[in-house]
Amino acid sequence: MISAMYPVAEQVGASRIVKAVAIPHPCGDPSLSAELDGQLRREIINTALKALEANVESSTVFAPKIAAGA
Amino acid sequence: MRLEMAEFPVATISPGDRFHYRSGELTIDRGAIEQAVLEEKRIEAAWLDVVAPGDKVRITGIRDVVEPRVKVRGGGQVFPGVLGPVEPVGEGRTHRLSGMAVFVTAEYEGTVRAGLGVQRSAILDMWGAGADASPFSGLRGLVLNLRLTPGLSELTAHAIIQRAAFETAKKLAETTASLTAERIEVFELGNAAADLPKVLLIQGCLTDSPNPHSGVSYFGLPIRDSLATVIHPNEFLDGVFSMYATRCIAYFPVTWDWQNHPLLLGLYREHRKRINFLGVILERIRYDTFHGKEVIAHNTAQLATQLGADAALVSWLGSGNAFVDVMLTIRACEQRGIKTTLVTYEYGGKDGVDSPLLFYDNEASAITSTGSRDRWIELQEAEKIIGPYQEIKVLSYPGAPLTSARGPFTLDARDMIVGGVDYWGRGSWSCAAY
Repeated sequence: MISAMYPVAEQVGASRIVKAVAIPHPCGDPSLSAELDGQLRREIINTALKALEANVESSTVFAPKIAAGA
Repeated sequence: MRLEMAEFPVATISPGDRFHYRSGELTIDRGAIEQAVLEEKRIEAAWLDVVAPGDKVRITGIRDVVEPRVKVRGGGQVFPGVLGPVEPVGEGRTHRLSGMAVFVTAEYEGTVRAGLGVQRSAILDMWGAGADASPFSGLRGLVLNLRLTPGLSELTAHAIIQRAAFETAKKLAETTASLTAERIEVFELGNAAADLPKVLLIQGCLTDSPNPHSGVSYFGLPIRDSLATVIHPNEFLDGVFSMYATRCIAYFPVTWDWQNHPLLLGLYREHRKRINFLGVILERIRYDTFHGKEVIAHNTAQLATQLGADAALVSWLGSGNAFVDVMLTIRACEQRGIKTTLVTYEYGGKDGVDSPLLFYDNEASAITSTGSRDRWIELQEAEKIIGPYQEIKVLSYPGAPLTSARGPFTLDARDMIVGGVDYWGRGSWSCAAY
């Protein structure tokens, strides 16, 4: 699950959670240039794909390499 | 800052040809009110109705609810920044007409078609099951109905509706200007014994920054993204807070609620007896990122610590993810040793079996529930419809069909009834285990 409210996702028991950018735009950032936004989107989706491959025992949060508060 | 609030209870409202108040009987000059409102040329028509508890009437198209008040002593005037200049208020003497309200109604289509900025209006039943769902049904009402020029923008329509309602309310209160009040209540902070616990009200305040109006304004200025700030409670009483008058939904407080904030009044009435009431922190909530939510929670708790609070009542308004900000604030306060009690409505779903809150934290160990906003409610057939809409949408999804406002019909939640969601514990609900 890709979620900007990842603690809420943890609380409802989602198994693999990817930290997203913000509630109105979880998988990207419209304030960035198309190129930087593209990099950001790729990073989030790659993190999500890695999360799918991972074995998890309980709710686990995966953090893409993105600036905090973006 | 010392404010004397002089109360003039209203038992009857009679339309007539002069303004007069005597022993609970309020006479209003119907023509003068309508004429004053029509000075705004973008109001095409204005007409008044009077309602009382028990009347089998349903009011439609409600945009705001206002208690008539006027300042007779002290600086400034009620509704500063909207009716007059931005001047300090909260001192001196204010007169209020209690037990009544001005309900302003208007038909308005709006230009925003989707999202949270879409115009909404509320209904109120003065009798039956609908009346039980809203404390506003217990007030006598002067209903000010407006017909606006078509095609106005959201902000313009808001400003016109709000001004008409505030001016009418103030005019009604002016009938008492030279009279002696039945009761005077004094509101003043400070002078409490050193051993009393210092208590704050933390008022979470959801605002929609991108919308034409953010939803809540202070001195007429819509509050957008903001750090937490300290507000003197007397400012509430003189009407510095108001709402977005083209979007009246039950989980957003109307102006009447800000004027009569039940938690603020409750804390004030215990001041120097059981507690030392320190005042109010207004905390803007609904940050878009978790980072933002953590920052505002930290900022609020830090401010509370700096003010020396031992405890805080925490409440909010609105709906949705803003509640995460509230929970994080509770956690941040508790971690700093400030005891909290949360006052909130519940969800729970139509049958009461869903999760009552969106988000929890173990530190939130004291919660006062004000009841569910989600339950089905069946409204009876009205004898009369007041307000602009003879047909309304009783279901909330986009494109929902129109139904006769007369009813009977079933609402799938309390959102459409003004006062139908009890955000600040004003209702009379109680609960017994059995």
